[in-house]
Amino acid sequence: MAEFKIRRFDGKKSFWQTFEVPAKKGMTVLEGLYYIKENLDSSLAFRASCRMGICGSCAMKINGKPRLACETQILFLGDKITVEPLDNFRVIKDLITDFEGFFAKHKAVKPYLIREDVKYEEPKELLQTPEELNEYYVFTLCIKCGACYSVCPAAATLDGYLGPAAMAAAYRFCADSRDKGNEERYEIASSSNGVWRCHLAMECSEVCPKNVEPAKAVQMLRRKTAFSILKSILRW
Amino acid sequence: MSSESAKSVLEPVAWLLQMITGLLMIVFVTLHFYVTHMVSHEALHYQEVIARLNMPEFKVMYTVLLLIVSFHAFNGLRAIALDTNAGVRNRNAINTLTMLMFLVAFFYGLYLLISL
Repeated sequence: MAEFKIRRFDGKKSFWQTFEVPAKKGMTVLEGLYYIKENLDSSLAFRASCRMGICGSCAMKINGKPRLACETQILFLGDKITVEPLDNFRVIKDLITDFEGFFAKHKAVKPYLIREDVKYEEPKELLQTPEELNEYYVFTLCIKCGACYSVCPAAATLDGYLGPAAMAAAYRFCADSRDKGNEERYEIASSSNGVWRCHLAMECSEVCPKNVEPAKAVQMLRRKTAFSILKSILRW
Repeated sequence: MSSESAKSVLEPVAWLLQMITGLLMIVFVTLHFYVTHMVSHEALHYQEVIARLNMPEFKVMYTVLLLIVSFHAFNGLRAIALDTNAGVRNRNAINTLTMLMFLVAFFYGLYLLISL
């Protein structure tokens, strides 16, 4: 048996509740939560969808660290499991947090190819070498689970801070040879809530379940942004 | 989300200068410690300190050290203040205040150095 200690929230107050879950080899924390919901307390609220580490819905703080519940096996953690909602997000109910602001920040950095010659009536193949693909490939793996944002010290003190996931997405498109929207993104990234607020704690890269390395993306974006601005000042 | 997105020249320049002053501090603080702790046992005696600070090469060295340390400190303080919601709301006041504090600290230190 594994003991699940869950930090719950009923809309007014936060409290801890403990459940006993029969754990077997290979069973994930998400399966444990489903067991609780189906057999012990149907009011327990949590998000989950794909159950295979692709959708990013089930990110939560497990034994003090943000992880995907679907990819975390109970017996790897021992017989005592602490489950909490992600930090730096407003809790809606139990383990469900409000991602509206997180997605708004992601949208704000224009995470799509910007080109003037795109015509949907006449689609054009945009060729790219494997080297050009490798420049940004790792950053395309982000599943927007919010784990990086939940451990970011800058996001904890500044509500408007873009955060590691949004800036990794911005860098992903800035580093894409097919994209022509760098200047637009540098302008967004160089705002007061952008790259300058990162202090390189690197916890975002540490907890990323997909090894995306958002901290590296933020530093690369910061360097590109700084040199772009300095170039425009010096009129290079 | 904040609608502020205009390219800020201050931020990239401040970031670059923070890195440059940080690196320079390693050199100058090492030099300072070498002179005050490694050269002689009397290096920190009052008369020795006064005599050293009256030598032109040390006056220049400590002026540069004062400049980079004060900039690094108050620019760091500015960055910490801007990491908060209140700081971002009062961004211009924070920028002005910390740069004024830097100038006051530098010129007061310079006055003390010159008046020795």
